[in-house]
Amino acid sequence: MISAIGAGALRIAQEVGGIVLLAGQVLRALIPPRMDTRELWKNLYKMGNRSVPIVVLTAFFSGALMMLQAGPFVKKFGATGLAGWGAGYAVLREIGPILIALMFSGRVGANNTAELSTMTVTEQLDGLRALAIDPVRFLVVPRVIAMVVMLVALTAIGDLVALVGATLIGRAMLDIELSSMYYSITENLKPYDFLHGIYKSIAFGVAIAMSSCYFGITVRGGAVGVGRAVNAAVVAAAVSIMLLDFFLTYLTG
Amino acid sequence: MTAVRIADVHKRYGSRRVLDGISLELPRGTKLGLIGPAAAGKSVLCKLICGLEQPDRGELEVFGESVVGKREADLGPLRKRIGMLFQNYALFDFLTVEQNVAFPLEHGFGTQSRDRAGGELTTEAIAERVAARLKAVGLAGSERKLTGELSGGMKKRVGIARATVADAELVIYDEPSAGLDPVTTQKIYDLLAADQQRTGATVLAVSSDVTALATFVDEIAFLYDHRIVYRGPAATIADSPNSLVRQFVRGELEGPLDQAGPGMSSDRSVT
Repeated sequence: MISAIGAGALRIAQEVGGIVLLAGQVLRALIPPRMDTRELWKNLYKMGNRSVPIVVLTAFFSGALMMLQAGPFVKKFGATGLAGWGAGYAVLREIGPILIALMFSGRVGANNTAELSTMTVTEQLDGLRALAIDPVRFLVVPRVIAMVVMLVALTAIGDLVALVGATLIGRAMLDIELSSMYYSITENLKPYDFLHGIYKSIAFGVAIAMSSCYFGITVRGGAVGVGRAVNAAVVAAAVSIMLLDFFLTYLTG
Repeated sequence: MTAVRIADVHKRYGSRRVLDGISLELPRGTKLGLIGPAAAGKSVLCKLICGLEQPDRGELEVFGESVVGKREADLGPLRKRIGMLFQNYALFDFLTVEQNVAFPLEHGFGTQSRDRAGGELTTEAIAERVAARLKAVGLAGSERKLTGELSGGMKKRVGIARATVADAELVIYDEPSAGLDPVTTQKIYDLLAADQQRTGATVLAVSSDVTALATFVDEIAFLYDHRIVYRGPAATIADSPNSLVRQFVRGELEGPLDQAGPGMSSDRSVT
């Protein structure tokens, strides 16, 4: 029992250490920034553009849900002027960044791990090294940058869509005036509420990118290994998102 | 002048012994074939020469430069002098056939060529060389295909085109004829021989098809029980004085290979 716990702790320490080392390599490759710009643009498009529909859908319904949950109480206490603030505060600071990061991890992070791990087991990374090309600089750095940039952009889009979703559902199902929602949001929410979510999305983006790339390039064992790597990357990203969210909220308020 | 010098190289993966005191020299411009049973460590030896793996101990020099203990970044200039065909192709599946073949040229390989411009090949020169190479390996018309759309034999030919497009000084072919029919195999070996004559490159070719390999290389080395146990002229390999080699080349079921099995024999001087 104790040895199993110890082995588990060692394995986690090893994985965390590996991710930190990879992050160091990525940082080193960024000073000065040298990377394949074609790979960067390709990944920005693939990871960002193609994620917009799923993010819009998720964000719309998360905003709508916030309103559905809060609506009956604000109606009951006659505080409809606070409905927009309530939904917006939760969406911008917590629900938006977390849900979009989890969606992004499931869609983009898992795909990234599958791609990189397939390349690893088919010796494509060795092929790059044999051609004197550093796989971290060529494959990992553009992906990390693309994931962080696109998660921030998607979070900003998602925040806007979630507020629209909350407003429309408030009007359609709870008879809250559009103008009332508008003033509730613009007068009560501060720019920092939005930025708070954006800071989080940067941290979540780094966590998703590093874990998905790390498990992708360290995979062993063929097709079975690819499956295990994707699973490990998604779990690691989800746990990281929750831990980071807690500590960022605790530290920054 | 020596292209590759390997002295007493050992390599293990965990408790599994792969190479146990390998020593080998390849003079410049020569063609050496490497044969041996499956899992004898032939591919590992190829990767060691290219610096993709590091030996546990021993010396390994390529063009007089040691590759042991070198950082990845420091191996770059040396790797640009080496062309390598991987056993499992190692083609980039995010690129088309022509992009795969052009990849080494676009990343600074082959700049020793006459048609360079300012240290780098022009786009037109790259396109021309890629088209010529694909035509030579019989893949003209497949330029725009993704590697996932190709058969195993076609992938192998793309790998050969990529390994040879930059006219490297040392070319390592890991199973160049695996997955190819006999006619294509002979065409490929003829092509490799013509390339080698044109460039004067040093060649190390690993293959299980000993008959075809013998038409291409000058000498053949036999890797068995983690060591090179024989090295001799390719033309007379089937009549080698080493009974292990004779049995392996002739594909006979009875003999010392059958009795010992790879990794089990302690007698390395069987004749």
